[in-house]
Amino acid sequence: MALAISSSTTSLPRRSVTEPAWVRLLLIVSALGVLALFLLLPLVTVFGEAFSKGLDAYFGALGDDDAVAAIGLTLTVAAIAVPLNVIFGVVGAWCLAKFDFRGKSLLITLIDIPFSVSPVISGLVYVLLFGLQGWFGPWLKLHDIKLIFAVPGIVLATVFVTFPFVARELIPLMEAQGTEEEEAAVVLGAGGWRIFWHVTLPNIKWGVFYGVLLCNARAMGEFGAVSVVSGHIRGLTNTMPLHVEILYNEYNYMAAFAVASLLAMLALVTLAVKSLLEWRFSREIAAGTRHQKT
Amino acid sequence: MMIDARNVRKTFGTFAALNDVSLQIAEGEMVALLGPSGSGKTTLLRILGGLEFPDSGSVLFDGGDATKVAARDRCVGFVFQHYALFRHMTVFDNVSFGLRVRSRAERPSKQEIARRVHHLLSMVQLDDLATRYPSQLSGGQRQRVALARALAIQPRVLLLDEPFGALDAQVRKELRRWLRRLHDELKITGVFVTHDQEEALDVADRVVVMNQGRIEQIGSPTEIYDRPATPFVYQFLGNVNALPCQIRNGRAEIGSLVLPAPAYAGVSSAAGMAFVRPHDLQLSRPGEGEGALAVVHHVTVLGPTVRVELMMGEQIVEAETTRQRFSELGLASGQQVQLWPREARFFLRDGWEGTSFQSREELARSSAML
Repeated sequence: MALAISSSTTSLPRRSVTEPAWVRLLLIVSALGVLALFLLLPLVTVFGEAFSKGLDAYFGALGDDDAVAAIGLTLTVAAIAVPLNVIFGVVGAWCLAKFDFRGKSLLITLIDIPFSVSPVISGLVYVLLFGLQGWFGPWLKLHDIKLIFAVPGIVLATVFVTFPFVARELIPLMEAQGTEEEEAAVVLGAGGWRIFWHVTLPNIKWGVFYGVLLCNARAMGEFGAVSVVSGHIRGLTNTMPLHVEILYNEYNYMAAFAVASLLAMLALVTLAVKSLLEWRFSREIAAGTRHQKT
Repeated sequence: MMIDARNVRKTFGTFAALNDVSLQIAEGEMVALLGPSGSGKTTLLRILGGLEFPDSGSVLFDGGDATKVAARDRCVGFVFQHYALFRHMTVFDNVSFGLRVRSRAERPSKQEIARRVHHLLSMVQLDDLATRYPSQLSGGQRQRVALARALAIQPRVLLLDEPFGALDAQVRKELRRWLRRLHDELKITGVFVTHDQEEALDVADRVVVMNQGRIEQIGSPTEIYDRPATPFVYQFLGNVNALPCQIRNGRAEIGSLVLPAPAYAGVSSAAGMAFVRPHDLQLSRPGEGEGALAVVHHVTVLGPTVRVELMMGEQIVEAETTRQRFSELGLASGQQVQLWPREARFFLRDGWEGTSFQSREELARSSAML
């Protein structure tokens, strides 16, 4: 975003548009100042605090049984939630972008619900539905199925919260691409599956990839909804963000920041991969994607 | 392949895209569907291709009912307006797609596919661009790839939707000639949609003029141009002056101009419209011949021809004359001239919207009376 703006201003005629030097300097310094204060400084603090007692203590905190369990759970949840949402997202977007039917706008609104509802509320809804006192609680108990305060509940809440990422990324892209290529494939004798794999999917692969990146980052970092349904059982239902909170509340700052540094690194890697791909495949991406930011 | 569309109707919501359209296309014929946007021509083409299905009526291919046959089983070549090339495939992969997707039993061998694709690519003069991607090609090149891709499956009929619409004038003209040659060589039945009358008259064996979901006229390019069946066709094809007139007992009165209209001998008095092509208007000095007086309003010299805008009473009339005649008359703005239509055609006002052939009658040949 910032890149696009700066490159378009430099192409404008200089004299008529450019502000005096001191104004430019002031704007640049204040922008960088805000950036440093609110984005860079916290990041530095996370890593500074994490390594405050040395490397051994850092790896010790990460090697702690409960920490390992939390990392494992977070990876498991992401490994289930992300593929599910890729499937839902692609199917949903395909359905919404390539076909016209009654209730289409209602469906788009439904997909957006997780964005508009506070994650805590969505967590609470699951507790009310599937908890012991919830609607389906007695039935679930009778059949010995435990959703709330257990891993399935965490997965469910994460899937719900990250549901729109892939679909939202794909709908505008697929709408812009239209259905002509699919029609061409049909006329040439291709069947539905083949069209999907050979025509539709290759055209949206970058959109899917972006969706996966964003979805994954959120799935691993989700706090609110997961916090409500997890029950905070150490070593069992604690994800990384929950584990950070517990450690922090126990005044174990160093360990809390050590685990937090992993999450921060996830964010950095996500950004790096995204930028790298944008740089490497900019032309292909520009051909298909009109990026809409959430 | 012979195509027979019978009483085809199609509505989108409340909009009637096709209203009882019947059309026969002979084996090996090149037919143009010509009309303004919203006339239903693209819908008809898509119904022939199996991309839309009619609400009622039927489509027969070589006498067999194809109305409900799915697009993938029709074996038609379809060229889309914006080419619809697979953007992530090379030119070679685009052209070979239709062969590669066949079931194992019908699929030619790899070498055979390569041979056929290269043959097609050399036919469209793109053999050296086989490894390029669509985004690396010009509009005209993309169009030819789209055509090669459509021909690769050896279709029974070639359907083209505004094939040259998105190209600039020079390339369009070239491709047009080239398509005509290709059609003459392959002898494939072809239907193409266009809103460009010149394109239709140039490329097609037969032109189908459509308007508001109906067929206005079917005929050879000369027939369509020389003997338009309806006021719509008159106005759609080429420049024409539409002059309100009064028809009384076999005569048409356009202001002070009275012309014979023998076809309306039985009409005692009715409002009508006279259609005169600009080049059928004969100009002379006042007093030198018959006709109505008009004042020259504006003169435009277009190479060998001269376009003269005249005021005949309140009516603006456009005439076309040769450069030579123009200098003989010494035409200039404000000058008075005498007008005489060598050829004109009259339609009664009633019923010229609605069914198309109602007002078809004999051409009034005023020139014979001179």
